[in-house]
Amino acid sequence: MSVIYLDNNATTQVAPEVVEAITPYLTGEYFNPSSMYDAARGPADAVSAARRRIAKLLGNARPNEILFTSCATESNNTAVFGTVAANPDRRHVITTSVEHPAIHNVAQDLERRGFEVDFLPVDSEGRLDVTDFVHALRPDTLLVSVMLANNETGVIFPVEELARITKETDPGIVFHTDATQGVGKLPIDLRGSFQNVDLLSFSGHKLHAPKGIGALYIRRGTPCRPFMLGGHQEDGRRAGTENVAFIVGLARALELAVEHHDTDEGRIVAMRDRLQRELENRIPYLQVNGGAAPRLINTLNVACHFIEGEGILYQLSSHGICASSGSACTSGSLEPSHVLRAMKIPFTAIHGSVRFSLSRYNTEAEIDRVIEVFPEIVASLRRMSPYWDAERDAPRPEALEMLEAPDMPQDHA
Amino acid sequence: MTWNYSKKTTELFMAAVQGKPGTHLGEIEDADGFGEHGSIACGDALRFTFSVDRHPTDPKKDRITDARYLTFGCTSAIAASEALCAIIEEGDFTPIEALKISNQDLVDYLGGLPQAKIHCSVMGAEALEAAIFNWAQKRGVDLAELGIDIRREEQEEGRLVCTCFGLTEPYILRKIEELELRSIPEITNAIKAGGACMSCHHQPGGLQDLLLKVWGKQSTSLSQLPVLPMAREALAQPPQEMSPFKFAKLVEHVVDEYVRPQLAKDGGDIEIVDIKDTVVYGRFLGACSDCAGSSRTLKMMVEQALKDRVDQRIRVVQV
Repeated sequence: MSVIYLDNNATTQVAPEVVEAITPYLTGEYFNPSSMYDAARGPADAVSAARRRIAKLLGNARPNEILFTSCATESNNTAVFGTVAANPDRRHVITTSVEHPAIHNVAQDLERRGFEVDFLPVDSEGRLDVTDFVHALRPDTLLVSVMLANNETGVIFPVEELARITKETDPGIVFHTDATQGVGKLPIDLRGSFQNVDLLSFSGHKLHAPKGIGALYIRRGTPCRPFMLGGHQEDGRRAGTENVAFIVGLARALELAVEHHDTDEGRIVAMRDRLQRELENRIPYLQVNGGAAPRLINTLNVACHFIEGEGILYQLSSHGICASSGSACTSGSLEPSHVLRAMKIPFTAIHGSVRFSLSRYNTEAEIDRVIEVFPEIVASLRRMSPYWDAERDAPRPEALEMLEAPDMPQDHA
Repeated sequence: MTWNYSKKTTELFMAAVQGKPGTHLGEIEDADGFGEHGSIACGDALRFTFSVDRHPTDPKKDRITDARYLTFGCTSAIAASEALCAIIEEGDFTPIEALKISNQDLVDYLGGLPQAKIHCSVMGAEALEAAIFNWAQKRGVDLAELGIDIRREEQEEGRLVCTCFGLTEPYILRKIEELELRSIPEITNAIKAGGACMSCHHQPGGLQDLLLKVWGKQSTSLSQLPVLPMAREALAQPPQEMSPFKFAKLVEHVVDEYVRPQLAKDGGDIEIVDIKDTVVYGRFLGACSDCAGSSRTLKMMVEQALKDRVDQRIRVVQV
């Protein structure tokens, strides 16, 4: 059975052009770029060329502002712990309640170390209130870390504006953004609209490069101590032999994303919108999470009331369809997604969330297939749900009452 | 994490969602036994109903003739519900005989369940038990008279240990014993306690302490790191406006009022040696002073009393 891959916010297919670009560095050009002999010039040149291309594609940044890491998680850890280590006098950090775990758990760790951390709330559409952000800024604020786009809902945050407010308040505050879901999909101009962003993280495998390569942009002059110590690679800011092949792959993938952007964008958003519209038409008690907020064009997060997401994924998988869910049974913890909880998605729906995330490799026929099977999967699970009246094909009255209840009966926060 | 369900589990699930003949989806109207476990907020819920062939004279000899379920939950929760009904159908049980069906029977029927999904089988067993208690009530069968523990103490609402899933001390203690749970991850896998915010793992009176209470000291779990003191402080409430003088007075008051009477029962006492910020230095006196085994329990008892009544950030240091 062929796979219909709609989980591109988790990882992506490696582009054939990327495979082609990296292959020489996995075969003949294996030399260590730090070595002195002529043979090593090829890999060394490839790394610096990749650095220049990436810097240019992010809005004419300086090449030495780009640091290669192993993944976005490492970039995020470096950004936060590096900033903390370089600014011992400040003890306050601002972030949001919906960050990826690679920021969320790092911020919680800072809290355990005695830092004060504000986790800004979001509204039911997943949007930040800039007023909340302004109130949170303090004289001893050290770092602001706000993601560019949310991985679960695709909701885009006004990072440019928040960065400007931050710098106008106090240029000493470091502004970081986890742009993992945004790079390749949203325009990033580090000399223009992103000029107040000091640190920016992203990874390769969300934009059709392989897993195991990430990057951190560190604006010139931003104090940031290294997270990994060792050799002199990356100007001593990130030790460890360069992953030459994947660095080349990252640059190629970013080039492709920019090249394809204009032609792909309209096609992807049309498929996503059609999927959303058809599911909304066919499935009662379905809500689109973050639907009213500015969103990434490839992401659709729906919540099906009165059923649980793991059973949905299991049946989708039996049709060869790959998607993900924020339900407790799929999270590795026993709690549903912290993002959906922060949005106060009704507790009748939070366990029944499903995320579809598209890429340029998806086709209309694949979307047709999802539209065909998904409503039946939802109906089959509702027939077994104690909150659903199978005869009337509608929620039971007591379940509807729960839906109207203003708060969750149990606060998991 | 991809699925690693047994063949039987996936077969039962797919048969159930497709509504194949022989599956047990549904709810019996005016059921003789009605039981529920879980809630939509917790992520899984099971409604279990059965009907009986009523014995004309002795309700204890009723036979279960039909069993049905409605389940909100994951693949394994639905498969476990199906397994429960199938076991009952095959067994031709009286309700009292059916009480012997344990969660392990469901696991065995399914050909095993992943560790993290064990709670699905527990949910089945719990709903069955609730339904049988309901039957007993309807049919006027006094289960307690038959020597069956009907959890009277749990109905009196014990102290809440896991606030996320609303689980009380008596319930968790019973489950630790019944299901032979030896570590915090095992507790979480079986009954979900401690699976969300995790703050009940190592706090005084939390899951680790309950494990100690049931199994004694040997059951320490090396895989679980203790919560650092700083973390506990970070979780505590914001500082209260209280002068050091008033703070100390209040500590003394709570010690006099709540701690000393407890210690006095065993012929002991406590002396407050010093207070620095929110760290209270105490010395145990009398019978408590040379009882090495109990000093940790004592310290925690005192600490909890002070935390509850003065300030969540208080730590007691034994001098």
